[in-house]
Amino acid sequence: MDHLTALENKSIFIIREAYYRFRNIAVLWSIGKDSTTLLWHCRKAFFGKIPFPVLHIDTGYKFPEIYRYRDRYAKEWGLDLIVARNEEKIRSGMGPDKGSKLECCTELKTNALKAAIARHGFKAILLGIRRDEHGIRAKERVFSPRDGDFKWNYEDQPAELWDNYKSTTHEEDHYRIHPILHMTELDVWNYVKREEIPIIELYSSKEGKRYRSIGCQPCCSPIESRARTVDDIIEELTTTKTSERAGRAQDKEDAYTMQKLRSLGYM
Amino acid sequence: MPRRAFNGRHARALVIGLDGVPHTLLQDYVDRGYLPETKRILDCGFALRRMDASIPDVSSTSWTSFMTGVNPGEHGIYGFMELEPGSYEMRFPNSADIMAPTLWEIIGRTSCGKRSTLCDRFGAAVDSPMRSVVLNIPQTYPATAINGVLTAGFVCPDLRKGTYPDSCYDYLMSIGYVPDVDSARAVEDRDGFIEELFMALEKRRKAFEYFFENEEWDLFIGVITETDRLHHFFFDGARDAAHPLHGTFISFYRKIDEIIGKLFNRFMELTRGEGLFLTMSDHGFSVVEQTVNVNAYLSKEGFLKKDVTRRYFDMIDTGTRAFAMDPSRIYINLECRYPRGSVSEADRTAVVEELKERLLSINAPDGTPVIRALYEGSELYSGPHAGDGPDLVALAHEGFDLKAGLQQDRVFSKGVFKGMHTQNDAHCIMSKGLEAGDGLHIEDLAGLILDHLTT
Repeated sequence: MDHLTALENKSIFIIREAYYRFRNIAVLWSIGKDSTTLLWHCRKAFFGKIPFPVLHIDTGYKFPEIYRYRDRYAKEWGLDLIVARNEEKIRSGMGPDKGSKLECCTELKTNALKAAIARHGFKAILLGIRRDEHGIRAKERVFSPRDGDFKWNYEDQPAELWDNYKSTTHEEDHYRIHPILHMTELDVWNYVKREEIPIIELYSSKEGKRYRSIGCQPCCSPIESRARTVDDIIEELTTTKTSERAGRAQDKEDAYTMQKLRSLGYM
Repeated sequence: MPRRAFNGRHARALVIGLDGVPHTLLQDYVDRGYLPETKRILDCGFALRRMDASIPDVSSTSWTSFMTGVNPGEHGIYGFMELEPGSYEMRFPNSADIMAPTLWEIIGRTSCGKRSTLCDRFGAAVDSPMRSVVLNIPQTYPATAINGVLTAGFVCPDLRKGTYPDSCYDYLMSIGYVPDVDSARAVEDRDGFIEELFMALEKRRKAFEYFFENEEWDLFIGVITETDRLHHFFFDGARDAAHPLHGTFISFYRKIDEIIGKLFNRFMELTRGEGLFLTMSDHGFSVVEQTVNVNAYLSKEGFLKKDVTRRYFDMIDTGTRAFAMDPSRIYINLECRYPRGSVSEADRTAVVEELKERLLSINAPDGTPVIRALYEGSELYSGPHAGDGPDLVALAHEGFDLKAGLQQDRVFSKGVFKGMHTQNDAHCIMSKGLEAGDGLHIEDLAGLILDHLTT
């Protein structure tokens, strides 16, 4: 079995397991490539018709392309779409300029999600988090508990339930489930290519720039890139990863060399 | 690995490299009876000869000249550091930057397309690949796959990446091998540093003897670099009986003498006396009287303008006509070569002449002239990479240690280093029967070795 199919199978198994155990769940969809891949797995898991809601947290600051894409595919794929917004804060003008970025994210994203979970009584949320995204995410579990305050104690996590094939739970407030935790950024793009998943045009280069990750417009910066197709992106990613790694390793060796030369009076 | 068919001659070569060991000091110690094994070797048909190192005489350049048998114009290594083409950004050349094939690449048939005048002379004479054991030669990091075994010398940031094959690395780890001692502690923790030197030497001995006995080889090169470290910090203890480290110096050299003696005996036994045996160094050493900061002098004389808000060589500012890099290489800040270059090609010769005149007139505070010789790059270097080299190289009189850092504002200073490299006092112990002509140069040795291995 090839690598991508193995990752897909794992994800589908987790999704079905989550639905079977928790019943009242939702999948978070940010319209980015990761959560769209997760959505694709959900559709495959249930033969095209996802039996639970798809939740979009709308801060009101998303790119217009995001809203267009969301509405088109929600209809095309027959999704039970719930758009969650912190209406009160959006109306009062909350934004990254008004408060801090953290405050804005907390109010418009975290609190919007909290409210949606409370309103619908979701026992678990599926998210498209990947372990290779960020240092802290490397500590995530596939089944990850959150307490009533949405707090995650990464230093004191319970054992990973997924690999034990037992997903019985205690009375936590809700669970976060990460079916694509084991996919890397490159895996996701290769999967997108293989499945021909439609991807939002923000990822494609326009005038020498494209977005490597998408979210709210004021806080997203594009990168210099000429990659227009998924193939281009995969090639760019492969070369960037190689040269990034090589660059960092070279810096370390250079620093070591300078220190050695300095100790002998050469610098 | 294919073993060369035995042709009735034990055409093997053993080279023991002793980094920075001067001809004069070695002769002195032999005469004083400190080195009985070396004396015994000299008494049975070997000569201790003076040898010229490369110019400049830094280890990276000199060892590369040894291992390729050609000048920097062919091998491309002019010092420990270079500037990225078209910029003032520093880079540190490594083994991948050596443009000529090494001895072991020539005999092992792993030159990978690299060519040189030496390779042209001997390449065809290598009828089937020969195996080499190469231990601790500077400028061989990172390691590449060779016909044999290699562990890199200075600078070796990562021993695994500096060793081929993995089994060699596994062995070195198992004995606690030390690629290089921690020179940063030499001044603050003198006794700890000395202890570390002896310990590192012991590990070298162990590694040399292990690979000597357990590997198939035609060429064995083992380099001891601890001598260079000892000399940089404590060379004033080499001859001065009143110096607190004089006794330590002699003990250290006695240990080296034992290593040489043991390997020599085994080698002669193995080759029935017919193997080629050499010891050699990449440069000599003398005591430092004064450090001379070349860039400070160039600033004072108006050749160099610095913007101290920038770092390292990026400090070189518009209006600079010349600057120096370690240890005494001088580059004209040409418009066609550097982003803030201010000298046109047409004016280059005039700037060189002016520089020569100013540099030759540097006198120490007591009036002694500092610069012994100045060479233009075109006089020293020939080959496809001659154009990459410095415009001028300076050699100083004994005692004046030329430095090319950019931090010092004073021309004359005194640092912590008590020993400096000398270009004309390297040594070579070789068979008296070897024809080596009048002036022996480090580049000559590779040809002698190849001649022996391919006859």
